[in-house]
Amino acid sequence: MEDTIKTKRMSWGRRNAPAIATAGPVSFWMIVFVLLPMIYVVVISFMSRNVYGGIDFTFTLANYKEMMEPLYLKVIWKSFKLAVLTTVICLLLGYPLAYYIAGKPSATAAKLIMLVMIPYWTNSLVRLYSYNLLGATNGPINNFLLKIGAIEAPLDLLYSDGIVIVGLLTAMLPFSVLPLYTSIEKLDKSLLEASKDLGANAFTTFRKVTIPLTMPGIVGCILLVFIPSLGMYYVPEALGGGKVMLIGSLIRNQFLVTKNWPFGASLAILMILMTLIMMWIYTRVASLDDLEEVF
Amino acid sequence: MKIKKALVIMLAFVTVMSFTACGGGSSDTEDAGELNIYMWSEYMSEDFVDKFEEETGITVNFSYMNSSEEAVAKITAGGGDEYDLVMPCDADMTSLIEGGYLEEIDTSSMENFQYLDDAYKGRSFDPDTKYAIPYFMNYIYVVYNPETCPKEITSYNDLLDPAFEGQITSVDGIRNLFPMALEALGYDPNSTNDAEIEEAYGWLQKYMKNVKYLNSDDAEKELVSGGCSVGFVFDGMFGRALEDNPDLEVANLTDAVQLGVDEFVIPKGAKNKANAEAFLNFMLDPENMAANIMDGHAYTCPNSAAVELCDDSYKLAKNIDIPKEIKENYFLQLDVGDAMKTYDKFYTRLKSEE
Repeated sequence: MEDTIKTKRMSWGRRNAPAIATAGPVSFWMIVFVLLPMIYVVVISFMSRNVYGGIDFTFTLANYKEMMEPLYLKVIWKSFKLAVLTTVICLLLGYPLAYYIAGKPSATAAKLIMLVMIPYWTNSLVRLYSYNLLGATNGPINNFLLKIGAIEAPLDLLYSDGIVIVGLLTAMLPFSVLPLYTSIEKLDKSLLEASKDLGANAFTTFRKVTIPLTMPGIVGCILLVFIPSLGMYYVPEALGGGKVMLIGSLIRNQFLVTKNWPFGASLAILMILMTLIMMWIYTRVASLDDLEEVF
Repeated sequence: MKIKKALVIMLAFVTVMSFTACGGGSSDTEDAGELNIYMWSEYMSEDFVDKFEEETGITVNFSYMNSSEEAVAKITAGGGDEYDLVMPCDADMTSLIEGGYLEEIDTSSMENFQYLDDAYKGRSFDPDTKYAIPYFMNYIYVVYNPETCPKEITSYNDLLDPAFEGQITSVDGIRNLFPMALEALGYDPNSTNDAEIEEAYGWLQKYMKNVKYLNSDDAEKELVSGGCSVGFVFDGMFGRALEDNPDLEVANLTDAVQLGVDEFVIPKGAKNKANAEAFLNFMLDPENMAANIMDGHAYTCPNSAAVELCDDSYKLAKNIDIPKEIKENYFLQLDVGDAMKTYDKFYTRLKSEE
C-alpha cells in the first residue's frame, strides 16, 4: 500500500518537475506579486473608508455607485477622450512611417527602427522636464524668439491640453510604430500586385487588401497606446500645470491624499475592466496567435 | 528524485530568505542601546546624530519616507515593531492619537522640554503635549515680485482680482488649498461643514482662474523664470526662489498663514521608548538644534532658544526672518476625519472643469 502511494507521488513529481523548474519561479512570482494583490484590490473595492482613513471591512456597493456620479464620469470621460485622441494621432503618424520603413531593405529598416527606439533610452520624466525648461517664460525658445524679434512678449508654451498631447505622443509613438511595422513587413507584396492586376486602384488596394491584412498590427498599436495613455498621470501632471484631473491622478489621490482606498480600488477595477474590454475587442478582430506575432 | 530534492531545498531556501527579509534588522539586538527612526531623508545633520551616538552610546538607525502618508501607514501597521520614532505631520495627529496608535512621551524626564516654544505645547489635538514633539515647520506664504506684481496683496481675497490672471504659481493639494479659501471666507480653516466646504470650492474656482501653475514640489520655478509674479508657496520653496531672485517679498496679510509641522511621535509598542525620549531631549537642546540648523537645515524651528544661537545667515534669511505679526498669526492643518471625502469630491470637481 505504502509503496503504491510512493510510486504515485514520485511519478507526479517526475512528470511535473520540468514544468515546475521552468515555469515555476515566474508563476510563483506572479501569484505572490500580481494575483494576490489583485485579489486584495477587488476585495477592498467592496469595503468602505473608516473615519481615520483605514478600511472598514463591511460589504458595500457604495464605491461603484459613487463612481457613476457625473463628477467622476466627467473625469473618466476626459481621460478617455485624451487617450483616444492620442491613439488616433499615433496611428495616423505611425502607420505611414511604419509603411515607409517596411518598404526599405532589411538592413536599412533595422537602422530606422533603431532611430525610433532611441528616444526611449532616456527616462521619459527627464524628457518631460526638459520640455518644461525649454518652454519656460525665460527659457531658450522664448529668449530666441524675443531676440530675433518674432514676438514682443514671451509666449505661454506650457500648461495646456495641447502640450499634454504632445507629451503623450512622444511617450507613445514607438509603441505604435513597432507593432505596425511588424505587421506591414509581413504583408505579402504579391497580393498587392494581384489586386492591381485585377484593376483596383491604389486607394482600393490599400482599403481592401493592405488594411485588412495589417489589422493585427493596427489593433496591437491601439492596445499598446490606448491602455497606457489612459492611466498615465505623470505626463498631464508635468505638462498640464497641475490644473487638470485625469483618472490616473484621481486614483492616486484616493490612495495617498484622501486615504479612501476602497474608492481608489474600485476606480482601478474600472480601468482594468476597460482594458479587458479592449482585449476582448482584439480577439474579435484578430486571433490571439496574431498577438504573438506582433509583440 | 534528485530534481525533487533540489527543488525542496531551493524552496526551503527561498522561504527562509523571505522570512529573514521581512523580519530582519533589529530583532537580534533589541536589548542593547538602539534607536530606529523613520523620517524624511536629508532632514537632519549627520554630525548631530554622531554627537548623540557619542554622548549616549545609542546606535541610531534611519529609514526614510517618501510621503507623510507612508509615515501614517507605518504607524498604523504596527510601527512599534520596527521603529521608535516616526515623523507624521500635524494633519494626521488626531487620527493617530484617537486611534490609539501612539505611546505617551514622558516629557517630565526631558530637561530640555522647556526650550520648546510655548506656542507648540498643548496644541488642540494634543492638549497635554503627550504624543507629539515638533521638529521643523513649514509655513505657506504669499510671496511676490515687487517689480512685476500688478497689485498690492493684503489678504487672500486679493488673489481673486482679475489683475492676477495667469500670474499665480501655487502649491497643490486638498489640504493646502481649501484651508486658504476657508480662512479667506472667515470660516474655520479645518471646517468639516459641507456647506462651508462648498463655499470654499466656489472661492477656489475663482482662484484657479488666476493660477498658472499648481505643484507642491516645484511651484517656485515660475517665480524664478518670471512666468508668475505671485506665489502661494512653502517657506522652503521661497528660500530656493530667493537664491535666483533676491528681490522677492512676503505679502503681509490680514489673514492667518498656514503652518504645517513635522512631528516626532513614538508608535505604540516601540521597543526603545527610553532611547527615543533621550533623543528628543537631545534634539530640544538649543545648542544641538542650532548646530543642526546651521549644518544645511535652514527650516523654521519651534525652538527660539536654538534660533538665538544660530548665525545671522540663517536668522536674517528672507524666508526665515519673517515679521512676527505674520508668523504668529497662523493656523494649523488639523485632521478633518470623514469630511476628507467631501473635500476630495470638491477638489476633483475643481480640477475637472474646463
